[in-house]
Amino acid sequence: MTPRTTGARRRFTLALLLLAVPLLLALLGPLCAGEPGPRAASFTTGGGHWAGTDFVGRDVWRQVLLGGRPVVLTALAATALAYAAALPLGLAGALTHRRWLEELLMRPLDVLLAVPSLLVVLLVAAVLTPGAGGLALLVALVSIPDAARTVRAAVAEAAASPAVEALRMQGETWWRVAVGYAGRSALRTLAADAGVRLTGVLYLVATAAFLGVGAAPDAADWAVMVDRNRTGMFVQPWAVALPAVLIMALTMGANLLCDAALGRGPRRRRPDRADRTARPDRPAGPLRPDHSSGPPHPAPRPGPLPGPRPDHLPATDDATAAPGAGRTEKSSP
Amino acid sequence: MTGLRSWLVRRLLLGVVQTVAVVLLVFALTEALPGDAAVALAGDQPDPGRIAALRETLHLDRPAPVRLGEWAAGLLHADLGTSLTSGRPVASYLAAGFGPTLVLTALTLVLLVPAAGGLGVLAARHEGRLADRLISAVTLAVYAVPEFALGVLLAAVFALRLGWLPPTAVGYGDELLAHPAALVLPVLVLLARPVCSLTRLVRAGMIDALASPYVAQARRYGIPGARIRYAHALPHALGPAAQQLARTVDWLLCGVIVVEALFVIPGLGTVLMNAVTERDIPVLQGLAVVFGGTAVVLNLGADLVTHRFVPRTGEAA
Repeated sequence: MTPRTTGARRRFTLALLLLAVPLLLALLGPLCAGEPGPRAASFTTGGGHWAGTDFVGRDVWRQVLLGGRPVVLTALAATALAYAAALPLGLAGALTHRRWLEELLMRPLDVLLAVPSLLVVLLVAAVLTPGAGGLALLVALVSIPDAARTVRAAVAEAAASPAVEALRMQGETWWRVAVGYAGRSALRTLAADAGVRLTGVLYLVATAAFLGVGAAPDAADWAVMVDRNRTGMFVQPWAVALPAVLIMALTMGANLLCDAALGRGPRRRRPDRADRTARPDRPAGPLRPDHSSGPPHPAPRPGPLPGPRPDHLPATDDATAAPGAGRTEKSSP
Repeated sequence: MTGLRSWLVRRLLLGVVQTVAVVLLVFALTEALPGDAAVALAGDQPDPGRIAALRETLHLDRPAPVRLGEWAAGLLHADLGTSLTSGRPVASYLAAGFGPTLVLTALTLVLLVPAAGGLGVLAARHEGRLADRLISAVTLAVYAVPEFALGVLLAAVFALRLGWLPPTAVGYGDELLAHPAALVLPVLVLLARPVCSLTRLVRAGMIDALASPYVAQARRYGIPGARIRYAHALPHALGPAAQQLARTVDWLLCGVIVVEALFVIPGLGTVLMNAVTERDIPVLQGLAVVFGGTAVVLNLGADLVTHRFVPRTGEAA
């Protein structure tokens, strides 16, 4: 047990360190960037610029200090916006007893889910040329379907509990049942999902900026720097490598931290839970009833089986699942 | 069986609705342009002749439903319209970019499944030991990294510093397959994210399967370990992975756009980005319909495959 927990702690620290460097640079960098110096020649090294100059002769280190903030802030804003829309949608979808309302709320999202998100971003960007705020809005928009489904699935689990029925019978208001109980008990899952969503949004924001959406072509933005300074990579690799490494550290750190935090949860069985299809465990029966070459399956006898798994014993929570709970679990990764 | 059939019908219907939604969404693009689309597209120096020409090409003098009908009818006949900037038919753009993109995606998919399956099984067999910890940590870390950052760094190390591989595919044009060295880095970058997610899924599924009573029973019967792993446990682990493969297609489409921009490969992604910068709406619409339609069809296919492997997932669908 001990090596596992120390290993987990080590992973947690590593993730924290990996995330802290780019995050601190992004948030505090603009404060210590100072005034812009005179422009030098493009793609030079030395001459007072320890990281060299970029494609228009600006100091690379100063651009790096300035360039993290747009990436991080846009991603945070987009995640917050996505949840601001997904929470009410998911709550209403999970708690309503009217089937048509649930269908009306959730089905359009199913339709949107099939369209590649970057494609939508690029299409809209081609027509409207959005700024940083527009990009945040756009990325939030494409993240809503997935987020709403997760919220709905998480809340539906809580909504099927006897406690909610009891609250309803006591005549508690919808608000208290939804936010006070069901929403609160789903909070852990939602916090975990928000972390996963944030890494996804970071990816999308950075990629969009790299492709020239939502940022001016000479903006101080790590992703734009990677794109614009590529032409000088042979003579001045730092102008590309520095922002690229920072973006890598940022996304890696966010994902690792998210996973480490998930693994610490008391109810999580495995740290990679977030990656697995979120289906409830059922008694592990034959998965492919048609494969005749397989061994026969005797009636489950917990006794002599090596390593009987307690979570596979009669799953009562399964039977009480909400009527539509199984549907969302079909394809959420 | 009725449950299966009604699930099938509903899933196919959803696919049709999704396709229609893609077409509508893409058509809405021209409508979303502020003011008159022709004026907006003509750019900073509006030239009356150009505006008139644009209006002519886009048929803006007719009401929107009529234009939608005509455009959709054209789609059914594989007529995607003509480009605003060059006057060439959109289909010729698609045909030109199709080859390189197909080479990239096909290579990636062919390498993806065995790589992810092998790594996942390897990690599951050594659960908790060094190999597993290494694979888990690396897949988790690389999973979230944007392709462009990874690609630029790989190019900096392997192409510029070590000089092993060409940094871009400039000059190879359509003959990518004749220059395999130029394909190594793009395919590697495209593979990175999907391999990570699939490996983790296969690993988790394998660990579940290997700990299940039916595998224990098979062991007691004395069935060889390799046969248990690959004939009994692996199909169980592949069910969720097939679902994830559909999501991978979404990433591949995104990845292809980035990778083609990064390594200067003249595929559909490059055509798309050019259309975006030139605001060439008909080309954009045609590409979007093709990309969106592909995604919808592949999602549908993956759902059907998953349904075949893990029949119970469809119970509540």
